[in-house]
Amino acid sequence: MIAENTQTQMRKGILEYCVLSIISRGEIYASDIIAELRAAKLLVVEGTLYPLLTRLKNNGLLSYNWVESTSGPPRKYYTLTEDGRGILSQLDQTWQELAYAVGISQKGANS
Amino acid sequence: MEKTIIINIGNTIIHIEESAYERLKAYLNEVKHYFANHADDLEIVTDIENRIAELLTEQLEEQKKQVVDSANVNAVIAQMGRVQDFDTVEEGEEEPVINSTYQHQYVEKKLYRDMDDRVVAGVCAGIAHFVNADPKWIRLATLLISFAGGFGILVYAILWIIMPKAKSRIERMEMKGEPANLQGFQKNLDEELQAVKERLGEVNKHAQPIFARLGIFIGEFFEWLGRFISGTGKVIFKVIAGFIIVFGVLFLLTLIIGTAAFQGFWDASIYEYFPFSIINEGNRGAILFGAFIVCFVPVLALVLFSIRVAFNKQAINKTLSFALLIIWLAGVAITGYQAAKISSEFKQHAELTQTTDLKAYPVYTINIDKSKYFSKEDSVAYHIDANNRHQIVVDDFEDGPFVSPNHIRIDINKSETGVTRLTQKYESQGKTFQSALQNAQNISYNYVMKDSELIFSPRFQLRKGTIWRNQEVRLNLEIPVGTRLLLKQDAYRYVNNYWTWDCNNRENDHNDYSVWIMTDDGLKCVAQLKEEALKKEKLEQELSDLDHLQKDKPNDTLYQDSVSNRIKEVKEELGIAPEE
Repeated sequence: MIAENTQTQMRKGILEYCVLSIISRGEIYASDIIAELRAAKLLVVEGTLYPLLTRLKNNGLLSYNWVESTSGPPRKYYTLTEDGRGILSQLDQTWQELAYAVGISQKGANS
Repeated sequence: MEKTIIINIGNTIIHIEESAYERLKAYLNEVKHYFANHADDLEIVTDIENRIAELLTEQLEEQKKQVVDSANVNAVIAQMGRVQDFDTVEEGEEEPVINSTYQHQYVEKKLYRDMDDRVVAGVCAGIAHFVNADPKWIRLATLLISFAGGFGILVYAILWIIMPKAKSRIERMEMKGEPANLQGFQKNLDEELQAVKERLGEVNKHAQPIFARLGIFIGEFFEWLGRFISGTGKVIFKVIAGFIIVFGVLFLLTLIIGTAAFQGFWDASIYEYFPFSIINEGNRGAILFGAFIVCFVPVLALVLFSIRVAFNKQAINKTLSFALLIIWLAGVAITGYQAAKISSEFKQHAELTQTTDLKAYPVYTINIDKSKYFSKEDSVAYHIDANNRHQIVVDDFEDGPFVSPNHIRIDINKSETGVTRLTQKYESQGKTFQSALQNAQNISYNYVMKDSELIFSPRFQLRKGTIWRNQEVRLNLEIPVGTRLLLKQDAYRYVNNYWTWDCNNRENDHNDYSVWIMTDDGLKCVAQLKEEALKKEKLEQELSDLDHLQKDKPNDTLYQDSVSNRIKEVKEELGIAPEE
C-alpha cells in the first residue's frame, strides 16, 4: 500500500514534465500523447490527460490548433508556448538534479 | 434485433444500440459529475466527448459496422478510463482551492430540509440529520414547544423559509454528512444530471432573495395543506361523509314518505292547512312532484358525493349525474311555473260589502264568541253539538303555524246618520276580478245580536273547496254620538282603529270590560274622560283660588311673580291660551 502510494506520487510528479517533453518534440494530438505515455507505462487511461492538458493550457504553457481529421470531428493539436518552453527547460534542469540526487543516493557520493 | 438510437456526440452523428447508449450515457454522466467542480469542466467534458466520438467512428470504420454496440462502448470506456482511475493522477494536484472546498463541502454537514423523511416540510428531519439525532425526538420537542403559545409553530415556519430543501443527491449527502461517493451516482441518470445542473447553479440559489424564499414557502405550505387534506384530513372528511350519508338517506326516506302522505295515500287533509291551502286542487300533484324533485335531487347528490368521499368510489357515472341535474332543473321549472301560476291568482282584488242597520240601544256590548268553530263534518266527527251552548270547545285565539290568517278586524266609527249600522266587508284576491269576487263570496262569517249584545266570532271560514287567496273580513260598526259601548276584553285585539288596552276601568280593575262613549271627536274611554274631568275641575278650582291670591300683597313683586307663573301653568294645562 505504501509502496503503491509512493509509486503513484512519483509518477504524478513526473507526468507533467513528460507531457511537456512529448509536446516539445512537435505539434501533437492528445491520443498520440497517450500512446507515448502508455508506451512509457506512465499512464493508462486517456480521460486523465484532458484535465491535465486543459490546466497546462490555462496556465499558458500550451496552445492548440484545430486540425481537420479524416475520421471524425476536427482535432486539437497541442504545441508548447514560449512560457512552456521556459518552464520545460527549468524542469529539465530539475530533472538532471533529481537524477543526480537519485544516483548519488543509490551509489554513494564517492563512487 | 435491437432498437437503435441516433445520437449527436462531439458534433458527430452516431447510430447506437439502446443498451450501448444507456451505458455510454451513464459513463458520460459519471464524467460530468467528476468534473462538475472543476474550473474547466465544460472544456474537459467536451474534449472527452469529442474523443469518444472519434474513437467510436474509428471502431465503426475498422469493424465495417454502422451501429455502435455495447462492446464498442466498453472498449472506449476502457481506453478513456473510469472516473475512479482519474483520481490516481489528478488527486491533490488539481486546482487546490476549488478542490479543497469540494472536499470541505462534502465532509461538513449542511442544514437542509429532508424531503424524503418529512411530516410537514422536513424541517425536523433536517435538524435531526444535522445534530445526529433521531428525528422523532426533534419532532417531539417541536410539538412540545408548539403548545407553549405556538412558539414552536413560529420557529418551524421561519426554519421552513430559511432552510433550503435537499433536492439533489449531493444535497442529501451533504445533509447526512456522507462523503462524496462516486459509486453512489449510479442509478437514475436523469436525476444525476439535474443534480449537476443544480450544483452549478448553487451560487445563484444561495443568493436567492428572501421574497423568492417566501414564495417557495407559501407554495410548499399549500402543497402541504393539500397533502394534509388528502392524508390526515381525509379521515375527518370520511367521518363527516359517513354522517352525511346516514342523515341524508334518512332525510330521503322521510321525504319519500312525506310526499306519499301529501299525495293523499293516507290523508289529504294536509291541504286544509296553511300554506298548503294556497294550492289549487288541480295543481297539487304537479307542485308536489316539482317540490319533491327540487328537494330530493340535491340531497341525493350530496349523499352520492359523500359516498365517493368515504369509499373512494364513484357511486354513479357522469351520464347518470348529468341526468340527475336535468331532472332537478325540470323540478325547479315545474315548481317555478306552479308558483308563478299561484301568485298570479293574487293579482286582482275584490270587495263585497253587506250593511245591516241595528236596533238602537243606548249601550251596546261587544263580545267575542269564544267557542271554536266546527264545520258540520267536524261536529259529527268530534261528537259536538254546535247548538248546545253548555258544551263549548274554547278557541284559544292563538294561531298555530299551519292556520291560514283568518282573523276579523273591527273598526268603530261615529255614525253620521244617527243610526247604528254594521258593515261587513269581505275582501279577496283572485286571478280575475270575477274569481276574486267569487272567492270573497265564499267567505262565511257569522255574528249574533242578542238584544244589545253583539257577539262576533273571531274568525271567518272559507266555504268548502275555496282556497286561501288572502281573504279578509273587516267589520265597520257605526254608532251615534252619545252611545255607550261596553267592550269585552276578549274583543280588544280585534278592534282595529283604537288602542283599547289602555282603557281599563281604573276604579275597579277586576272588570273584564271597558266602557266607551262615542263623542264628536270619536270613541272615548269613559273612565279616562271621568279622570280628565276631575283633573280639569281641580285645575279650575286652583285657578279661581289663584285669582283671589293675586289680589293680596300687590306690592310684593316676588309673590306676584310666583302666583302669575302658576296661573300661566294651570291655564296651559287647561288648554286656555295665555292672555297676552
